[in-house]
Amino acid sequence: MITKMKKLVLLGSLSLFVFGLNAQQNDFKSSKTQFMIRGYGHMGYESIKTNGKTESTFNGGTFAPIFLFKHSDRLMFETELEFTINEGSLDIGFEYADIMYVLNDYMTIRGGKFLLPFGTFMERLHPSWVNRMPTKPLGFGHDGIAPGSGVGVELRGAFRLGTSTVNYSVYNTNGPGLKTPDGIDPSEAGMLAFNNLRDNNNSRAFGGRIGILPFSNNSTEFGLSFYSTDKVGNTDSAYENLGANLYAIDFSFVKQIPGLGGIVDIKSQYNKSKVDNMIYTIEETPGVFENLNFNNESHSFYAQLSYRPTMSSNNFISKLELVNRYSELKTPEGSGWGTNKKEYSVGLNYWISWRSLIKLNYQNITGKGGHDVIGDFNESGVYLHWAIGF
Amino acid sequence: MKTFKIFGIAVVLIGTILAVTTVSCSAEQVATYKNKSGAQLWGENCIRCHNTPSPAAYNDTDWSTISLHMRVRANLTKDQAKKIFDFIKSAN
Repeated sequence: MITKMKKLVLLGSLSLFVFGLNAQQNDFKSSKTQFMIRGYGHMGYESIKTNGKTESTFNGGTFAPIFLFKHSDRLMFETELEFTINEGSLDIGFEYADIMYVLNDYMTIRGGKFLLPFGTFMERLHPSWVNRMPTKPLGFGHDGIAPGSGVGVELRGAFRLGTSTVNYSVYNTNGPGLKTPDGIDPSEAGMLAFNNLRDNNNSRAFGGRIGILPFSNNSTEFGLSFYSTDKVGNTDSAYENLGANLYAIDFSFVKQIPGLGGIVDIKSQYNKSKVDNMIYTIEETPGVFENLNFNNESHSFYAQLSYRPTMSSNNFISKLELVNRYSELKTPEGSGWGTNKKEYSVGLNYWISWRSLIKLNYQNITGKGGHDVIGDFNESGVYLHWAIGF
Repeated sequence: MKTFKIFGIAVVLIGTILAVTTVSCSAEQVATYKNKSGAQLWGENCIRCHNTPSPAAYNDTDWSTISLHMRVRANLTKDQAKKIFDFIKSAN
């Protein structure tokens, strides 16, 4: 009886050992379905003087997780959320959520809410560990004239042509809405609202970008983008049949140049927006109305130059990066949101690793108009940010 | 009308650059381009937006997920993406 028990115990132990080994092996075997969290975040300190009034604060930080779900070698779901602390409260942004499927070597289809390839800044360069500056150039982000994301479908891909590479994207999205005098902020009447999760007028926007890397070393890229819609106003409103046409031209040059001992990085983008003209009647004070009649045309531009002495024999110096940026934004004169601003920025970055950097930056914006500003505008700020990609 | 003149000029200019570079390249140049190594493509393409990633930052499984994500985001050709991520996996 005892011998039988011993055999059972031995058999049980062996079974557990074999099962354990098998389980251990399974732990290290990658599954076909893969899930991954990537993303980025930053924190910092800012001291900003606006029209003589100084405000300084620690920046509570931004956390932007990116969830990647790879179903197969062709099918993937990706989404990004953005948590930011804005004036003491938590804002949660839904940046994108799309499904992509690789149709063949030259075509990938995406559907959902995706970053729009209108130029390159918003799609490729805005994450805080990629953007060499702590802020976005004028014309992007809040009150920007360039669309950042859209809900719809997109076809994109890339192919080789001789020793050049060509990439393309065409998309159909819900398109922008239009801010009107009866909206939340009547002074913004005539401004495009790109955060259109549901179509407001059964008219989609059609857009696309073509990028060309003409040289075999892929150092240089030229890009052309367009974005067009026949209707921006709400159905059955007086603004329904106003159309909008936008285009962007972008340029990029990135190369390690031995003669300069490091990497030179030039980025630039020009955006133009034209919305059909309309007279907007605003109630200035109760019972007092004003007609705003303006040419609804806006443009913005930025150029950025950075240099990193990667070939320096000094380890500390090789991790430094000098960066300069100029940007400008001009929105319709005569509108409630008309502005004409210019930005000059200079910064020094220190790369802790390939995906984490500390940015020390001085930025000056001068001009006229803008949100809650009447007359001249002068803002200068010092930013110290620490960004990380993961 | 003036708005779209600049766009038109840009279309013509970029088309011309593409045509000239495509027509002027020899068969030998095309072959050299096609035979670029994954290490070379890794060095040339990643820095178009961010620093070249350390192969040791992720394991092979994670790199295969990132490869599909970056192929689409960075508009890499299938050949470029395969060579770059084969190199990264071999070096981590």
